[in-house]
Amino acid sequence: MLPDKSGMEPGNDNKMNRVITFCYRKIIDAGSVRPWEKMVFDDTYQEFRMQFQFFNQQRKFNSFAGLLHESPLEAEKMHFLVSAAASGYVKQLSGRIPDIFNALGRQFLVFSNFSFEVINSDMNERDKHQVAVSFYSEPLTWHDTIGDQMLLSDIKQEGNEILTHLVRLQPFLSIHSLNYV
Amino acid sequence: MEKRGFLKSLLVGAVSAPVLLEACKKSDAATVSSGTGTVTNTGSQSSSSTCTVAPTETEGPFPTKAPASYNRSDIRDGSSGHKMTVKLTIGNTNNNCNGLAGAIVDIWHCDAAGNYSEYGGTGMQSTNYQSVHFLRGRQITDANGLVTFTSIFPGWYSGRATHVHVHVYNASGTSLKVTQIAFPEGAGTAVAVVNGYSKGMSGYTTNAKDNVFSDDAAKNQIATVTGSTDSGFELAIKMNVAG
Repeated sequence: MLPDKSGMEPGNDNKMNRVITFCYRKIIDAGSVRPWEKMVFDDTYQEFRMQFQFFNQQRKFNSFAGLLHESPLEAEKMHFLVSAAASGYVKQLSGRIPDIFNALGRQFLVFSNFSFEVINSDMNERDKHQVAVSFYSEPLTWHDTIGDQMLLSDIKQEGNEILTHLVRLQPFLSIHSLNYV
Repeated sequence: MEKRGFLKSLLVGAVSAPVLLEACKKSDAATVSSGTGTVTNTGSQSSSSTCTVAPTETEGPFPTKAPASYNRSDIRDGSSGHKMTVKLTIGNTNNNCNGLAGAIVDIWHCDAAGNYSEYGGTGMQSTNYQSVHFLRGRQITDANGLVTFTSIFPGWYSGRATHVHVHVYNASGTSLKVTQIAFPEGAGTAVAVVNGYSKGMSGYTTNAKDNVFSDDAAKNQIATVTGSTDSGFELAIKMNVAG
C-alpha cells in the first residue's frame, strides 16, 4: 500500500517533530460587543486614565501617543501598569484561549502566558481607547498540513494513537515559536 | 446555505482566497456605516467557509466584574523581606485636615534587592499572570481616611534614599496628589536595623542628599517607623490633600 499523502502513516518523511506555540492577539476597542471584551475595555480605560495622570503631572498632553512621543520610556511602563485591570478577566478565561476554534467549532488552545498592550488611548476621548491581549498557547506538535488546515496534537501523549486537532490560520492568529525536537 | 457557500468557494478557487480573507476581516470588525449603494458583498457565508469556524459550544463561563489586581491589602505576592505594615491617613485640607473618606490610595515600592515589579521588561513580553504586580497596591480610605497595607520593608537602590511612592485619587480616579514617603535614618532606626538586607549600606543616599527629599526641611515626608526585624515593622504617616 502506498503511503498516504496526508502524512498520517507512521514513518513518514518527517523525522523530527515540529513543536509550535501560537499567539492570538485579541484587539479590544470601542466596537467590542461581548461582555468580557466590554468589561476589559471599561476597566482598562479607567485604569489608563488613573495611571496616565502620574506621567502627565504637567498636563502637557492627553493621548497615549502624546506620552509616547514625549517620553517613550515612561510610556512603555503604561502597558504593565494598565495590565493590572485586565489580568482578573484573563484569569476568568481559565486558561482557554478565546475566539480560536478547531474544525469542530470548539476552543482547543490553552495558555498560561499572556501580554497586554495599550495601542491607543486618550484621557478625554473614550472611543480612542484600544488595547490588545495576546495569548501564547502551550506547545503543540504540528504533524502535517491538510489543505489549508494544520493537523496538531497536544505534546504530552503516549501510545500509538494520538488525538489531534485541525485548525485553520486566521487573522490575528500566528505561529509564535517553532522548535524541532 | 452552508453547502452553497462551500461550493462557491471551491469554484472561485485559490486565487480569490486572500480577498475572501479580507472580507472576513471586515466582518470581524463589524463596522456598519449608513448610506446608499449596491450590495457587492452578499454576505458572510462564502467567507465563513474559507476562514474561521463558527463557535459551536455552550456559551460561557460568563465574566464577572473583576477589580484591578492592585486591589488587595497584602501586596507581598511572595516577595521576601521583613514584614512591614503601612498605615496611611489621608487628611483633607478643605475640611480642617480631617480624614478624607473614600479616596483611592495607590502605593508602590521596590523589593529587598531594590527592584520594582515593572522593571522585568516591557509589556510586550509575555508573562504568567501570577504575581506580576508585586509590591503595588490600592486601597480605599475608611471613614477616618485610613488605608492599611501589608508589605515588606523596602530595599534601596543607587541614587535614592529608602522610599515608598504614593498616589492619592478622589473616588472617581482624579489625581489629588503624587508623593513619596521617606524613612527616618541614623542609629537605631529601621533603615539602620535592616541594614540594606544583603546589600549593606555602602553607597546609600541619605534623605539630605536625595533629590526628592532634600528640600523637605520640615520633614513632612518622613514617616514614623517602629518595630523590629523579628516582629515586623509598622510605618505610619498622615498626608494631606485638597479633597
